[in-house]
Amino acid sequence: MPRMTSRPTRNSNAAHRQREKRYNRNDGCGTDGPPTGEGRMAEKVAHLENMTTLKMKNLGQIKEANLTFGDLTVLVGPQATGKSIALQLLKLMVDAGQVQEEMGRHGLDWDQKLPEFLDIYFGEGMRSIWREGSTSIEWEGNPVDLPQMARRRRPNKEETLFFIPAQRVLALRDGWPRPFTDYAPGDPFAVREFSENLRVLVEQEFGPSGDLFPQQRRLKRELRDLLQKHVFSNFHLKVDKFRSQKRLVLGAEEAKEALPYMVWSAGQREFVPLLLGFYWLMPPTRTPTRGRIKWVVLEELEMGLHPRAIGVVLLLVFELVARGYRVCLSTHSPQVLDAAWALKHLKANGAGPEALLDIFEAQNTQSMQKLADTVMEKLVKVFYFDRETGTTNDISDLDPTAEQEGASGWGGLAEFSGRANRAVARAAATGQPELFK
Amino acid sequence: MTFKKAVGATDHLANAWRPGLQALRANDRNHVSAEDTRRLKGSVDIDGALQAQHPHANRWDFAIGYRHSNRQQDCIYWLEIHTANDEETEVVLRKLAWLQQWLASEGRPLKDFECDFIWVSSGSTSFTLTAPQVKRFAELGLQQRGRVLRIRDKR
Repeated sequence: MPRMTSRPTRNSNAAHRQREKRYNRNDGCGTDGPPTGEGRMAEKVAHLENMTTLKMKNLGQIKEANLTFGDLTVLVGPQATGKSIALQLLKLMVDAGQVQEEMGRHGLDWDQKLPEFLDIYFGEGMRSIWREGSTSIEWEGNPVDLPQMARRRRPNKEETLFFIPAQRVLALRDGWPRPFTDYAPGDPFAVREFSENLRVLVEQEFGPSGDLFPQQRRLKRELRDLLQKHVFSNFHLKVDKFRSQKRLVLGAEEAKEALPYMVWSAGQREFVPLLLGFYWLMPPTRTPTRGRIKWVVLEELEMGLHPRAIGVVLLLVFELVARGYRVCLSTHSPQVLDAAWALKHLKANGAGPEALLDIFEAQNTQSMQKLADTVMEKLVKVFYFDRETGTTNDISDLDPTAEQEGASGWGGLAEFSGRANRAVARAAATGQPELFK
Repeated sequence: MTFKKAVGATDHLANAWRPGLQALRANDRNHVSAEDTRRLKGSVDIDGALQAQHPHANRWDFAIGYRHSNRQQDCIYWLEIHTANDEETEVVLRKLAWLQQWLASEGRPLKDFECDFIWVSSGSTSFTLTAPQVKRFAELGLQQRGRVLRIRDKR
């Protein structure tokens, strides 16, 4: 009985690759040539050093969560399993001073009490996530005293984590970003701050009129082309005025008539705040990142978008990762895990950057190759928030053959497909498949 | 009729039935996990038993009988252990086509059992559950189950 064996994998450090090139330097400034044994060791050490841990016990729906963040971290799991709480907590861990400063600056006062602080930061009613005596948090291996954090103001520092919340569609009203104080006191801090950042971006970095998209100095040409094709069609995103009120509109390049916010498609309404978020993170300067921002949280990038548009957003996420940001996503889209799975296997098989670009139907230009090449070297972590146990599982292997159903079904994202496959196969096995007629 | 009797009544399989998973070689047994091994109703090395009669055919690997706790009759798991990647897809589908034709002729005593046609990977797999290839297999009655066929107590 002949048995095929698995095709031997090529050396993941194939000599023709130039993976040591630093993405954010001009060509020629980076370290050219294949990684040496020493280089590979340094790479591994760098990955380990880059790992950051957050542990939570008895926080909201979470009984116990252990997260180790990579360069790109993906959280999956059913609704209300604590993904958003974990991501907002991450923001608090890295930006406590900035959060307190922002809240104070906009007239929010929590009387140095933790319940009030939680209601302001996570949103109204969220004080219940903290259970005195049983809730505990550990950041980078050190216990965190959240009640003390609420009592004592941390020294202010610049923002290091940019949070793009799932509720980002609320950031625009009548086509213009809402200021922080436009929200109710019980609205989550992440939504209000994101909205405020967009307002600053639109008011300070763009002229009183003209195109916000496409813009030559914003995003790579190849990414702009894909966005034009899969999100905006032939429309441009512009600033115009309606009875002296500035607003964002969509309009064809030559057309006089513009489409106001209320007639945009649901996907466009979801995407425009996201695009502005990407603009914020990718300033049109030689510096690849903004200010001191090191982290990006992006909740549910897929909202309202067709899978082709999701593909483009994933490329934009890769661009953030390649620029050096550490990106954390939460998602309900199997496409995101397909991409993470492909990254892992392409890397393991020593595939070139063109293989990754091919998945996204992206142009195989030098610039995009450099982007893909950089991303393929990054560490990707995937965690599943399990509703049944209230715990998190590291499913970074994304092994479709894993013993645990949560792992093989990719945290529930592929389980439905699996059941559909089985039902159809059983029906077909007893029916008359075309092949055998 | 039980799985064992049906095997005995099938041309060229009269002596091919083995208890439990004994028709599978030790390495192949790692690809099968039964929740209740007492419910295993034997196995047959189809490939080996029919080699003389069908030397050039793309023969299927194994048949495994199992009596689920919620079934009155034995079920058959038709198991193929083969590399799971795009290059091997057509080979496995040819094996499936051969098996279906064989069941419609010499293998008729085994045809009417409730059954699953299962392909497990002898190594790693390049198919995800959402892959269109896996959908195609399903349409043809074939289930790609990763590396291990897990037979649950309840079907």
